[in-house]
Amino acid sequence: MASFDIQMTVNGRPVKQSVSPHLRLLDFLREELHWTGSKEGCGAGECGSCSVFVDGVLMKSCLMPVAKAQHSEIETIEGLEEQGKLNVLQQAFQKTGASQCGYCIPGMMMAATAALRANPYAGREEIKERLGGNICRCTGYQKMFEATELARDVMNGKLTIELLKEEKEEGPFIGSNSFRIDTSSKVTGALKYAGDMVMPQMLHMQVLRSPYPHAEILELDTSEAEAMAGVEAVVTHRDVQGIDGFGVFTDDQPVLARGKVRYVGDAIAAVAAEDVLTAKEALKKIKVRYRELVAITKTEDAIKTGAVIIHDDVPDNIVMHIPIRKGNVDKGMAEADFVIEETYYTQPVEHAYLEPEAGLAYLDADGTLVIQSPSQNITHHRQKLAKILDMPVNRVRMIMSPVGGGFGGKEDMHYQGILALAVLKSRRPVRYVFTREESIIASAKRHPFSIKYQLGLNREGLIQASKIHMLADAGAYNCSTEGVMRKAAILAAGPYAIENLMVDAIGVYTNNTPSGAMRSFGAMQSQFATECHLDLCAEKLEMDPVELRRKNFFKEGDETHTRQELGSVSMLEVFNSALDLADWETGISNSRGATRSDLAQSGNRPPCTLGARQFPLETIPTGQAA
Amino acid sequence: MLYYDQYHVPETLDEAFDLIHTNGGNYKVLAGATDLLPWAREGRGGDVNYESVIDISKINDLSKWQLQGNRINLGANVTISQLLNNPFLRKHIPVMAKSAVWFADDQIREQATLGGNLVNASPAADATPPMLAMNAELTLERKQKGKIIQRKLPLDEFLTGPGKTRLEAGELVTRVECDSMLGYGSAFEKVGHRRSLVLSTVCLAALVSLSDDGQEFEDVRLALGGVGPVPIRLKESEACLISQPIDSDLIDKSAVLAVKHVQSRTRQEYRREVVYNFVKRGILGACKDLNTTFADIDTDMKHRGNYG
Repeated sequence: MASFDIQMTVNGRPVKQSVSPHLRLLDFLREELHWTGSKEGCGAGECGSCSVFVDGVLMKSCLMPVAKAQHSEIETIEGLEEQGKLNVLQQAFQKTGASQCGYCIPGMMMAATAALRANPYAGREEIKERLGGNICRCTGYQKMFEATELARDVMNGKLTIELLKEEKEEGPFIGSNSFRIDTSSKVTGALKYAGDMVMPQMLHMQVLRSPYPHAEILELDTSEAEAMAGVEAVVTHRDVQGIDGFGVFTDDQPVLARGKVRYVGDAIAAVAAEDVLTAKEALKKIKVRYRELVAITKTEDAIKTGAVIIHDDVPDNIVMHIPIRKGNVDKGMAEADFVIEETYYTQPVEHAYLEPEAGLAYLDADGTLVIQSPSQNITHHRQKLAKILDMPVNRVRMIMSPVGGGFGGKEDMHYQGILALAVLKSRRPVRYVFTREESIIASAKRHPFSIKYQLGLNREGLIQASKIHMLADAGAYNCSTEGVMRKAAILAAGPYAIENLMVDAIGVYTNNTPSGAMRSFGAMQSQFATECHLDLCAEKLEMDPVELRRKNFFKEGDETHTRQELGSVSMLEVFNSALDLADWETGISNSRGATRSDLAQSGNRPPCTLGARQFPLETIPTGQAA
Repeated sequence: MLYYDQYHVPETLDEAFDLIHTNGGNYKVLAGATDLLPWAREGRGGDVNYESVIDISKINDLSKWQLQGNRINLGANVTISQLLNNPFLRKHIPVMAKSAVWFADDQIREQATLGGNLVNASPAADATPPMLAMNAELTLERKQKGKIIQRKLPLDEFLTGPGKTRLEAGELVTRVECDSMLGYGSAFEKVGHRRSLVLSTVCLAALVSLSDDGQEFEDVRLALGGVGPVPIRLKESEACLISQPIDSDLIDKSAVLAVKHVQSRTRQEYRREVVYNFVKRGILGACKDLNTTFADIDTDMKHRGNYG
């Protein structure tokens, strides 16, 4: 491949190098110069984590062929510090806690810098606009806006720099404002996430994934790929020395497909090569012969008699069924004045942590296998890996690299096992960095549910009986399905005192993308159904939806649905405070609609409207326009 | 992933055409690259290999603009950020600035070009409806047997479908010419899933000029994007207002006439409601832009869902 001579200035220093012409500016900064502060979150210009200044103009370095930056002056996050000290904006980000997982922060800081350079007096709305090209999944953005405003006011002399210091508090931590210990490493871009790490002799791994939702693998021939120059290891299930299989609850997922694939994206084989391109080329040379099987894509089809079996040892396709029984539901329904029924559906949800999965694995001199990855479950993974690799557990070491957002999605051991096989086979360090697309294809999602809800109430609005049947799509592997079913069942009926209760939470295998842990672990889905259903009941009963809930809340001394006696209950207090803050307008929901006045009270957000410009054009500074 | 062996940065059109010739068929022309790089990824274009990439963004002639009579002649390399910020362009074609505010985000606006947005031919391209409303015409050039062959095409004829244009092999869009809109009021409406970096679910450009006494519409131009294979002019909606008094019933009729153009693959019902309300609000916004307020019409024009 041809090379291209590139010359530029990076953070004030001249750089001259000969590189592959197809590199993007981001690749050049990260892989050639090892300035890894600029991050790749999406590679498609959507997330802004790669934002840098090119000749003073903020750009997305993942959208810029390196040749476009020829003879330019580049400023990255690493150039923001002043004489080795955090600048005002960095200190402000630290002060407001704007940096959480930290992965979006380099790009976010650059955008905030651009905002204040363009207009040192930028208001909140303009700051919001200027940060519009950057995505954060942790903070909800408020702290970043606050930080930018704080920095602006300190730089303008309106506020004193003392305000940026940590407020050292005596006494308890709760209620005091202390800094996260790792913040300064995040606002400088110094912190190394797994995808930022390099080692001498390091190989790059790519994974071959299934294009079919359900298929038998008749033939898997890697010989041509193995023969390629630059390829150091090709691994398949045949390289597993111990007992294959991992999972959070049951070990139903092989490290690499064993005989069949169960979803689009199931890992089949992997190549570790000198560079990513060679690894990609080698993947194309792996021959796989499939026999397509009937794929189950709907939960209701999975439990039909005679349905295709996805895992041989689970002939009914039911991963986990959690039932709860209390009182006599039939009697309760029969005695109710109203029985109201509805079915609710929730969709799969991608975590979309800004840091796509990545890992760096290597052998220590004493033969200990070390895997650095943003795993949310290292001790568990270590036990599983020792079993899979047939190695003593003290020869397997997991190091949790900084997690650039997890939200439950990094609990599964989807790729660490593959890395381990590649390292043991090649005896060299191996790094694997997912693309955003790969992360979406391969990682587990929030469980989609269908929830059949039946509620019996008397005329006063007291719940007499509740029957809840939940069917959840576990996808191809168990992952966290068992725990999610437990949580969904336990919390299904909501914080309401119900004498007669029947709950079933059933997770089933399908050939969809696996479902796993995600924020709230099943509670969100059942709460969605419960609260929607109570609103529906309030309408039918012509009651204030708030009143309906107040009447049914757990009280002190009540038993929960799983028979725990409640010593203290603050539900009503919390509820009333929330209503006050929301300026809740009492009344029957049926009579509201377009005339509701509680939405636009002072301090509340006005209702969303179509297309209105967020700020008048005239307030946009004209910059250095010609 | 996009990969290639050669990256060429011609500084003149002539150089660009020479490179196109020497590279036979295996080349790709790019300007801002902001559509190309996201396309060359898994699930879309996938891994794409070219022998050569020809970056035309450094051809200076294509970054210039000038006033020619009552037309503005823009080079294809004018960036979206220039449309947003340049005082001259804001004066003559302010509706472009109003659309540019909605275009992607700060970073991408600096790199993305007008020509690129038009050539990419997205049904939801934000620059297209305003350009249609301003009667844009493209200059297309190629080199044959050492001679530059130039042709001109109105924008609505150039665009033929999603991602499809009449651009021929070896041909480049070099200039975009459109009316200067001095004396017109303008508005641009857009809705999508979020504020920044979002494809338009619906977008609309509205341009209005009034009679000397301010009582009649002299000219009305409306163009709609995001609702079908290509953005379109709303000729019928325009015709029912031109030379007519400013009247809420007529504006309502104009909006109703626009609704039938919704031919999108998804969310048609929602888009019909938006189109109806956008046309009304766009016309009113363009009137207000002329410092003419119509209090009675204003009250009459509140958002309504019961279109047509």
